[in-house]
Amino acid sequence: MNWFPIFYREILLFRRRLLRLGYVVSALFAPMLYLLAFGLGLGKRVAIAGGSYLDYLLPGLIAMTSMTNSYTWIATSMTVGRLHFRTFQVYIQAPVTAADIVAGQMLAGMVRGLFASVVLLGLGLFLGSGFHFNLMFILALLLNCLVFAAFGVIVGMKSRSHEDTATFTNFFIMPMAFFCGTFFPVEEMPWLLRDIIKVLPLTHTNHLLRYPAWNLESLGSLAILGGYGAVCLVLAILIVRRYSE
Amino acid sequence: MNEIIFTDNLGKQYQDLVALDGLSLQIPPGEIFGLLGPNGAGKTTTIKILTTLARPSRGTARIHGFDVVRQPLEVKKLIGVCPQEINLDRELTAFENLWIYGRLHRLPDLSARIAELLEFGNLQERADSLVRDFSGGMQRRLLILRALVSRPRVLFLDEPTVGLDPQVRRQLWSLIQELGRAGITIILTTHYIEEAEMLCDRVGILNRGRLIALDTPGALVAKVGGYVVETLNSGRRQYLLVRDKEAAYARAQTEPAGVIIRQANLEDVFIQLTGERLTN
Repeated sequence: MNWFPIFYREILLFRRRLLRLGYVVSALFAPMLYLLAFGLGLGKRVAIAGGSYLDYLLPGLIAMTSMTNSYTWIATSMTVGRLHFRTFQVYIQAPVTAADIVAGQMLAGMVRGLFASVVLLGLGLFLGSGFHFNLMFILALLLNCLVFAAFGVIVGMKSRSHEDTATFTNFFIMPMAFFCGTFFPVEEMPWLLRDIIKVLPLTHTNHLLRYPAWNLESLGSLAILGGYGAVCLVLAILIVRRYSE
Repeated sequence: MNEIIFTDNLGKQYQDLVALDGLSLQIPPGEIFGLLGPNGAGKTTTIKILTTLARPSRGTARIHGFDVVRQPLEVKKLIGVCPQEINLDRELTAFENLWIYGRLHRLPDLSARIAELLEFGNLQERADSLVRDFSGGMQRRLLILRALVSRPRVLFLDEPTVGLDPQVRRQLWSLIQELGRAGITIILTTHYIEEAEMLCDRVGILNRGRLIALDTPGALVAKVGGYVVETLNSGRRQYLLVRDKEAAYARAQTEPAGVIIRQANLEDVFIQLTGERLTN
């Protein structure tokens, strides 16, 4: 395996962007807005699932933020790097395998997802939210980042333009952010929609981050996330391997 | 197997466009080989196939005996590529660009190699500057240095001096000649006649995906006649190819208006072969 230089390049770019203040604000602006508006507005007044709304919201926002941050950067930077700057072609012409390229990109996406999650977690704790933190929580968070970073690689390879990436985001990422139990329980939805929602990966991340218990249901959710991760990973590698201009 | 690059009946088709149509080439090690032709002739497509970026629709291509489709990893270890567009990371430093490339090739002692290359390219003082602050000529130089990090056996230069001013172009030419003297096989594409004549041991002329001539620049020119008599008749410039200087003088005597007598070049070869100009 020789994924490290590909990963390291992304991290160098990430670090340089991080030093410019604008990045953190823009990447975390939406979830922070949700957290402050809904968390403080409804926080103590509305009780949901046996606790305050803030306690309910924080794990959901972490699931959503880890999803968007793992996905967005990779999808955009690979689209632009392939179509515009043509830096992606350097990897294809270098003696690395498709698995190396996918692993390097995906791990870099995961680092971004985790970074955003940690910042949000800190903010939530500061606002007085409590949540369950254990190994299951960490596993679910890692798997969630992996699924959406790998999906980001697929979108980054398949987009035919910058607008294409936005279309993928609007059709797959945005609906999940709103329907999969980030802001309210999935059980509130009508039956057909509920069944569809229960198949989507973010629903399971939400469930696991809220109730990270070691029981059969959680292990089932974990397995579903793992399945999504494996499928996206294999698909991403096949697409990179078949790349030809 | 003497040649380092071998292609046989190589072709590439995109939907309804034939980009390359049956290219057969043998290039011996150490040669500076030029692919000359107008835009859309198939030069870049050839480079893309030989550097494993594009899969050919038909035919075979081998580099040092390794098939570009079936043994791509072996091929990638042997080549260095400078594409037409400068695909360096603008937000990273010169050193970082070279370092990441070297790691992709799993090279040991990278720092020493990079220092040596930056000095060779006269960029040692800019090692830690961001590439986006470099001039066009410096970026081109760094692009060539990056391709050299892995000590390639074959170097591909796709339009290496396009868009550069004459002085910078001359600097790059001497850099390329120096690499040629060091024994690296160089395949370069260009649509500049002087560049092909100046640098290349042999030139292949491509037009609409087909190889229409292949020889040393001198032999190609000699084939169409060594001299050109240019005349201007009622606003239309006409070119007449003649064998030697004496024939040119004799022809000039018969012209009522002014004439220009000059040595023929590869552009004249191209016009003779296709009836079209090489550059617009």
